[in-house]
Amino acid sequence: MSRIDPRAWGLNQRLAAVALTLGAIGLLGSPSPGDAVTLNTRELAEIVESEVDHITADELADWIVQGRADYRLIDLRSPEAYAEYHIPSAESATLRDLHDYPLYRNEKIVLYSGGGIHSAQAWFLLRARGFAGSYILLGGLDAWTDEILFPWLPADATPAEVAEFEHRRRVSELFGGKPRAGGGAVEQAGIELPKVAPPAPVAAPRKRRKLHKQGC
Amino acid sequence: MSAPFYKYALFGDEMSLILAVVIGIGFGFFLERAGFGSAKKLVAQFYFTDMAVFKVMFSAIVTALLGMFYLSWAGLLDLSMVFVAPTYWLPQLVGGLVLGFGFIIGGYCPGTSLVAVSTGRLDALAFCGGVLGGIFAYGEVYPSIAGFVTSTSMGRVTLDGWLGVRLSLVVFAVVLVAVLGFWGATTVERKLARRDEADAGALT
Repeated sequence: MSRIDPRAWGLNQRLAAVALTLGAIGLLGSPSPGDAVTLNTRELAEIVESEVDHITADELADWIVQGRADYRLIDLRSPEAYAEYHIPSAESATLRDLHDYPLYRNEKIVLYSGGGIHSAQAWFLLRARGFAGSYILLGGLDAWTDEILFPWLPADATPAEVAEFEHRRRVSELFGGKPRAGGGAVEQAGIELPKVAPPAPVAAPRKRRKLHKQGC
Repeated sequence: MSAPFYKYALFGDEMSLILAVVIGIGFGFFLERAGFGSAKKLVAQFYFTDMAVFKVMFSAIVTALLGMFYLSWAGLLDLSMVFVAPTYWLPQLVGGLVLGFGFIIGGYCPGTSLVAVSTGRLDALAFCGGVLGGIFAYGEVYPSIAGFVTSTSMGRVTLDGWLGVRLSLVVFAVVLVAVLGFWGATTVERKLARRDEADAGALT
């Protein structure tokens, strides 16, 4: 009976009781980050001016090929557009969803939309709320389509451009795209985005490893 | 003013390094005070004869957990800015096993070996030599195992996010597990101590 008499407890029992009490009180509430925002407009302007607020489609493609997991890729377009096609590893969240979307302030967050307007707006909203690792995919999905899925080699290309195109051609094929070589006008109507089954990731790990062996 | 101070740029790299040294010395001091400068004490954990490692580590976890939870509740700490090491479950499982076996065989873990070196223990000095050798060997073979090391990546995983429950529930559950663990550990210690006494009695 003396075991439930707190006066007879040793230090360890008392500490355990304190910890349990604190843990139980915690059940009553949950810490919330709050919506208050402090903006440093000069700092934001400088970030935009120095162009460190974005990453290019090439950089993103490299990250995906390397299988990096240190970033979150957010597709800001409608869920329907997302279901039709999205960049591998992307998560779907519209501008409206973004406020309650489970993101962390210490994560690297890459935003893209069709062009670049929505992603730039989302970037400001996130930066304002202290998500310092937010980036815009430069040119949005349009740039991804033009540069990664369907890279184009002009007929009068320099040797350097040809070498770069060779790398892009391999990357493009990995993502299910179709490189366009040989120059001349290419009919945009003939371009069809690779099909995506919504739940399945687009780039299979098998393909990634193959690229590793090629020394990319 | 809100923590983490480094992430909110309240101080820079130099200050963070100075603080790391101060915190490191404090950490080492308390490890030594807990008796963790002795390989015998540490290894006794694995034979369940002395559960001090379990108790000290779980006390630290519960203290930090409750402290961070309440600071964040009071708006003094932004939990989403706190670094969480990304999870690669399979390589980390293998790495954990390797570290565990090294712990049992060598008698120290990396932190406690340095603590023991500071009090002049030669076995710990040998252990540190092994740690350095291991680090260099790992660096040498890294290119051939890089694919495995970065496989099964899960990104930032936290218990509340993974289980889809409120953070406060996880906090309470961990505290409860710790208290029950303390009680269980003490019971096991007493049982083994009694058995040892019985053994000693049978010998005489």
